[in-house]
Amino acid sequence: MTTTSSTAIEPEASGIDASTRVPLLLLLGSAILWLVAGGVLALIASIQLHAPQFLSRCPFCTYGHVQAAQETALVYGWGINAGLALSLWLLARLGGAPLRAAGLATIGAGFWNLALSVGLVGIFAGDMTGFAFLQLPAYVQPIMLAAYAAIAVAGVLAWTGRRTAFTFATQWYAVAPLFIFPWVFSVAQVLLLFAPVHGTLQAVVAGWFGQNLGALVLVPFALAAAYYLLPKISGQPVHHYDYTSHAFWVLLFIGGWAGGRHLIGGPVPAWVVTTGIVTSVLLLFHYVVVAVNLAGVFAGRRRTALRFVAVGLLAYLLGGVLDAVTSSRDVAEVTQFTFFSAAQTQLLLQGAVTFMFFGALYYFIPRLAGKPWPSAGLICANFGAALLGLVLNVGGLFVAGWVQGHDLNQAGVGFAAIAAHTRPWLLAATAGQALFLLGSLALAANFARLLCVCAKQRAAELLSPPATLEATVS
Amino acid sequence: MKSSPLFFLGLFAALAFSLTALVLGTNAQYGRLAPYVDETQGAAFPQQSPGLAARGHLVYQDLGCAACHTQQVRRADFGSDHARGWGERQSVARDYVFQDRVLLGDARIGPDLTNFGGRAANAGLDASRILAFLHNGQGEMPPYPFLFEVRRVVGQRSPKALTLSGQSDYELMPTPRAEALAAYLLSLKTDYDYPEAKPPAPAAKPPEAPAKPPAAAAPAAKEDEKK
Repeated sequence: MTTTSSTAIEPEASGIDASTRVPLLLLLGSAILWLVAGGVLALIASIQLHAPQFLSRCPFCTYGHVQAAQETALVYGWGINAGLALSLWLLARLGGAPLRAAGLATIGAGFWNLALSVGLVGIFAGDMTGFAFLQLPAYVQPIMLAAYAAIAVAGVLAWTGRRTAFTFATQWYAVAPLFIFPWVFSVAQVLLLFAPVHGTLQAVVAGWFGQNLGALVLVPFALAAAYYLLPKISGQPVHHYDYTSHAFWVLLFIGGWAGGRHLIGGPVPAWVVTTGIVTSVLLLFHYVVVAVNLAGVFAGRRRTALRFVAVGLLAYLLGGVLDAVTSSRDVAEVTQFTFFSAAQTQLLLQGAVTFMFFGALYYFIPRLAGKPWPSAGLICANFGAALLGLVLNVGGLFVAGWVQGHDLNQAGVGFAAIAAHTRPWLLAATAGQALFLLGSLALAANFARLLCVCAKQRAAELLSPPATLEATVS
Repeated sequence: MKSSPLFFLGLFAALAFSLTALVLGTNAQYGRLAPYVDETQGAAFPQQSPGLAARGHLVYQDLGCAACHTQQVRRADFGSDHARGWGERQSVARDYVFQDRVLLGDARIGPDLTNFGGRAANAGLDASRILAFLHNGQGEMPPYPFLFEVRRVVGQRSPKALTLSGQSDYELMPTPRAEALAAYLLSLKTDYDYPEAKPPAPAAKPPEAPAKPPAAAAPAAKEDEKK
């Protein structure tokens, strides 16, 4: 879509967008703040990997605390807030009707972020659960479940109240996490925290939850945006759209099984691991279809939003292939318990999900707020710094993990030697985290300026300079 | 897709599919796994940790130690766990039946701790050495000075206190959290071989026909399996 003047924006920023403005700006503002906070925490955790003394005298800043806090801030703060905002906006837009229960969504967003803030304080105080991707203290999790449900109601109403019976792939991917997250989150809370299952069953349940959170909540949010932006911006159809529903249902039905691959060699039933391996390979079908469907983003990468989506898509596809490869027992013998696994997680969260979210934000925030991005330069800075940061961070962790895995498999190599061998690559990863944080700060500054400009300058005045048009065109 | 009920039914079925198998299925399979009763020793294994060690497990959890250490030993032919001396046998589900919060860990920035207590006993490390290690750190292991209190010696030195080099008037007193953590680490032992932890017997070699008739080879194979 090409926007050349304010008149092109205003018809889109209609009653539908106006109905979503308050809850979505609250969700997005919170998301961007959490992105920056999570980036700072990720940088600290990354430094502690090669400088263990860093902040070690602070009882709140052990590596375990900081690592859990950064993961929580990025997943629950950035990922869920931004994902919900995208989902509500897309469902309202494609439903063709103003958002209903927007007030409930606003209250839910407020409670979600309040509970998350309390949860982060709890993590630093040592109240974390110890389960990956479910580190929030038990006392805030029920509140967060209720808050999420309150926000999701608006999305489900937008789905059920749509003007046309026919639905698009964007709507499937946008509405599915609204239903899935409350289910898996509540099951995990009950079976891990309030009436915990015995023994290593906890690891199975935690693996199931983590896999669902990534593959069936965060990824669908991101794919919903990608399936919307490609035809909307480039004007091209989604190639082989007939197969899109197959890819969707394959992801839904078997995506939740793949968590077992992380438990290779562990004290759990062998069939859990085997099904994890098999489904990781079967999911390649989903990745192939998504690649074919969205290949057009590479042709349209000169558009700002599609450039971000293209990077996110590449990261997503690479991550899918790596999941299948590393689920092989021979490869896992090297990569398991190493930084390689951390790199895969970063590739999904920082690469695939975050870049697709970035692309979507650059497209829809101007429409939501009714004015363009104040600075095209900050958008370029965000893209450049985030891309370079991603490459350095993920690349550094991949190499460090591979070196670490080979060293670990040689019993004669001590941990001091392993640390020395991995240090250069971990330093590269730290540089990557710092650059990624700079990119996030550029987004935050641009967003803050956009909100502040509101009171001082009319939107139409800002749309006229060509430099800002470049950003708005996305 | 046009039908909302059908769509949501599909979502429900998709989640129920993995939930039923992975969560409910595994729960039915070994959710009630009990300790193993060894009649020859007249005891059940694993044995529950004493109170101080149980409290130490909570300290281990709230410090986030599992971010760097695993507690799962893989089988001897998978990785170097066995060669590094982290355990004589692979970990099995029964090892964890008394743990309220199972922290298997997914990173080995430091060594596996499944059998730390067993290794410490072999190396002659006692609680005071563990406490000194926690205070000072070593290599990639950060120090945890906030688990200790520096205090002036009044009267006799506390038997629990560590010595501060160069400061004879002061002593380093471990907090209850430090003592509990040390007790927990020393309690980590997998010194009992469960039947399921024993590696499967190697498959019997096929008879080198025609030296023996098949009927004679079969009992020999069964004998091998018993061994």
